[in-house]
Amino acid sequence: MNFVRLLVFGFLFLSVVYLCVSLYSRSVRREKLEAEWEETRPEGIHRDAFVKEGMKEYEASLRRRLILLVYVIPLVLVGAIIYFVN
Amino acid sequence: MRNIRRAFRITILLILALWLHYVLPQRDIARVTSTEVVRTDFSGLNRIFFAQTDTGNVESVARDLRFINAERKRPYLFSLVRGGNQTMVYRNEDTGWIYPPYFKFDSADLQAEAGAVISTEPPHDWVVITHYGWRIRWLSIYPNAVSIRPAPSEDFRPIPWSNIVIYVLMLAGVVFVRAMWRQFRERTLDPFADRAEDRIDHVQADLAERRGRLRRWWDGLRGK
Repeated sequence: MNFVRLLVFGFLFLSVVYLCVSLYSRSVRREKLEAEWEETRPEGIHRDAFVKEGMKEYEASLRRRLILLVYVIPLVLVGAIIYFVN
Repeated sequence: MRNIRRAFRITILLILALWLHYVLPQRDIARVTSTEVVRTDFSGLNRIFFAQTDTGNVESVARDLRFINAERKRPYLFSLVRGGNQTMVYRNEDTGWIYPPYFKFDSADLQAEAGAVISTEPPHDWVVITHYGWRIRWLSIYPNAVSIRPAPSEDFRPIPWSNIVIYVLMLAGVVFVRAMWRQFRERTLDPFADRAEDRIDHVQADLAERRGRLRRWWDGLRGK
């Protein structure tokens, strides 16, 4: 029963962390894209279109999927603790 | 107001520090003198300082507790300084799937290990007992032993690697949360506040303009 409770609350907590990290990462990426447009001023590309294109690239990137490690790392950590303590 | 805030902050920090001191692992150099099992009836006051019955069993009000009696080197200043010998009693409980997250299921095995290293006559077998928790006599609470391994010598000083790693991770976490909060404020809260301010300015300007018109109309009525 304690195990189930740990699973449920752990999952909820990690989901909150995941949400925060992914929002943060997206925001940082958007800021970087805006700065890049500001610096290069590409001919004939509107700022919004430039950012939109960049964000589309980000959505498909490995970097975004790496945020799933938020779930994996604690699992591995718990496994390691169980192995070393017992 | 500033003093109240400062007091509040210090209290929070103090509670956090005490909690960390309670929960993080500590290592004692000790020799086991005996092991025993004592039936214990918890009170509401000291119940939170005990874990639970062995994982997989049902929890009841009173139960038997495994104890490890030992004599240890007295630690001062977070074990930086070692004093003379001192008797110490450790409890030996499963923490299982509950807090604190040691995930210890092997208290029966640990009891056997403790029995195997009992050393009452010199030369003594010194062991490193990893434990967390406090010994508070008036509450009858005991630190929980997590593992026992032989110590190379009587004045062996283990380096607390796990604690170092935990502190570094916590620091990294604090830095990360701070960066997240900054980003959120800069990109979400501030633009929102700016827009709200802008709107208020517009409304006020509009109001001033209307009042101006009203005044002109009134003045016109009075033939000025």
